[in-house]
Amino acid sequence: MLVTAQPATAVQPAVETGLKIRLDGVVKRREYDGVPLTVLDGVEFFARDGEFVSIVGPSGCGKSTLLNIIAGLDEPDSGAIHLDGISAERRLGQVGYMQQKDLLFPWRNVVDNALIGLELKGVPRQRSRERALELMDSFGLSGFESAYPHALSGGMRQRVSFLRTVLADQQIFLLDEPLSALDALNRAQMQEWMQHTWLSLRKTVVLVTHDVDEAIFLSDRVYVMSALPGRMKLVLDVDLPRPRPLDVLTDPEFVAMKARLLNAIRGENGREAR
Amino acid sequence: MSAERAVPQAVVETAPRRGLVSRINESAGRWLAPMAIVVLVLGAWELCVRLFDIKAWLLPSPSAIATALVQDAGLLARHSWVTLEEVIVGFAVALICGVSLGVGIALSRTVERSLYPFVIASQTIPIIVIAPLLLIWFGYGLTPKIIVVALIAFFPLAVNTVDGLKSVDPDTVNLLRTLGASRLQILLKAQLPTALPYLFSGARVAVAVSVIGAVIGEWVGSSEGLGYLMIRSKPQFLTERVFAAITLLSAMGVGLFLLVGLVERLAIPWSHVRRGGDSEAPSPRISNPNIK
Repeated sequence: MLVTAQPATAVQPAVETGLKIRLDGVVKRREYDGVPLTVLDGVEFFARDGEFVSIVGPSGCGKSTLLNIIAGLDEPDSGAIHLDGISAERRLGQVGYMQQKDLLFPWRNVVDNALIGLELKGVPRQRSRERALELMDSFGLSGFESAYPHALSGGMRQRVSFLRTVLADQQIFLLDEPLSALDALNRAQMQEWMQHTWLSLRKTVVLVTHDVDEAIFLSDRVYVMSALPGRMKLVLDVDLPRPRPLDVLTDPEFVAMKARLLNAIRGENGREAR
Repeated sequence: MSAERAVPQAVVETAPRRGLVSRINESAGRWLAPMAIVVLVLGAWELCVRLFDIKAWLLPSPSAIATALVQDAGLLARHSWVTLEEVIVGFAVALICGVSLGVGIALSRTVERSLYPFVIASQTIPIIVIAPLLLIWFGYGLTPKIIVVALIAFFPLAVNTVDGLKSVDPDTVNLLRTLGASRLQILLKAQLPTALPYLFSGARVAVAVSVIGAVIGEWVGSSEGLGYLMIRSKPQFLTERVFAAITLLSAMGVGLFLLVGLVERLAIPWSHVRRGGDSEAPSPRISNPNIK
């Protein structure tokens, strides 16, 4: 098994076919109280079709800005974004984005919340309902089809939010710390469930997380971002066989990878504190 | 997708079910206090009038007002109906104009910059100054009263619509954008439902001030309606009839206020669930500079 860890620029292949997402030298500047600040400083990033890729880094390093740019909610000041190998000017609607908050509509029940993506595309209600109901069971939501969000626990609300992302049927999912609000036990179960769901869906997933265990457990590749200005500091391929059991966390190889990632992040936290 | 693996089932929190008895007790408690105050005030009033032998044309006793309500029931009903009609039509006009303008202002910066100052400025002109002009332009009929009611009621509706539409969570808007939603879809699927609790708060205020508007319209010049009846009864020293009209006007205001509340409960049940300790519940503006 091979574990590579080099600066991102060295990993970046010149031209590789089958890349779902490719970011080239993405730069984003912002002004905070009149002070110009470089949030992203030449970010290089790629994800192959059907890959699960994670981004970890110190808080406030521009991870969310990066996801916003990939989703098309924001545009970079310079650099290029390619989806499926072509420069993607209009990305809105192509990239699914599951945010930290579940953002469920309190006036819609579970099914109606889940099928909003299909509804916006004009899919007939009967058909979108059928598709939503088919997936209720595997999302642990059967029996709650007509429940309203206020009656659901945090974990269930997150699963409805995830189901909404899945039903919209986009090829790429961006997940911004979707599990951060859950307690440890729920989290471990959800991570296992997410791996299982991803294996059956085979979509390209980009996960932003604070949790290094979660990143290694779920990912084919983990990026470590530096503190501001944000840059990819380390790239780590995770070649552990799938499906991974939860006790892979104590596997020596896993532990070694975790040490490398934590080291890289710790360096950044120290830099940030100075 | 297959379903071999069990998914963690979460605990579902349901609101604690309360017994019927405790609910009746609670609603009785809610009504008991105001009822007691009404009875107390009316009793003291009646007592004062009888003890000090106050003349009926100066201050009629509650029992005299009640008698007038019964004796003049036909007359009062006819004029009440006219006023109610003015209130309802005027409120409906205000609702359509207020919500449309609110949507326009919330959607377009240009509309906001060009129209919002005038909307606010329009509220600084006392309606009592405008009403006689409307009389000159539109005569003694229903039209000037409807315009007065609409002018008064329109402001809380428009302002609350604007606030409600703007209170939508930007993350929700971004979510819909990533799902490929158009501007119109964002308005219909997210902004309008978010604005509804605000709109209903505005409507409760608007419907109450609508009654005031109708009376002002009738005072300035009319041949029917409760306001007209009051104006006509005063010089005849039929003071108990004036009080009977006032009683019916407040009953109308309270009734319409409660009706809006009922429609709100039926139309947006989720809003009441959220208000249970949710700090995100809207706190709409209820000011109306015109009521003075």
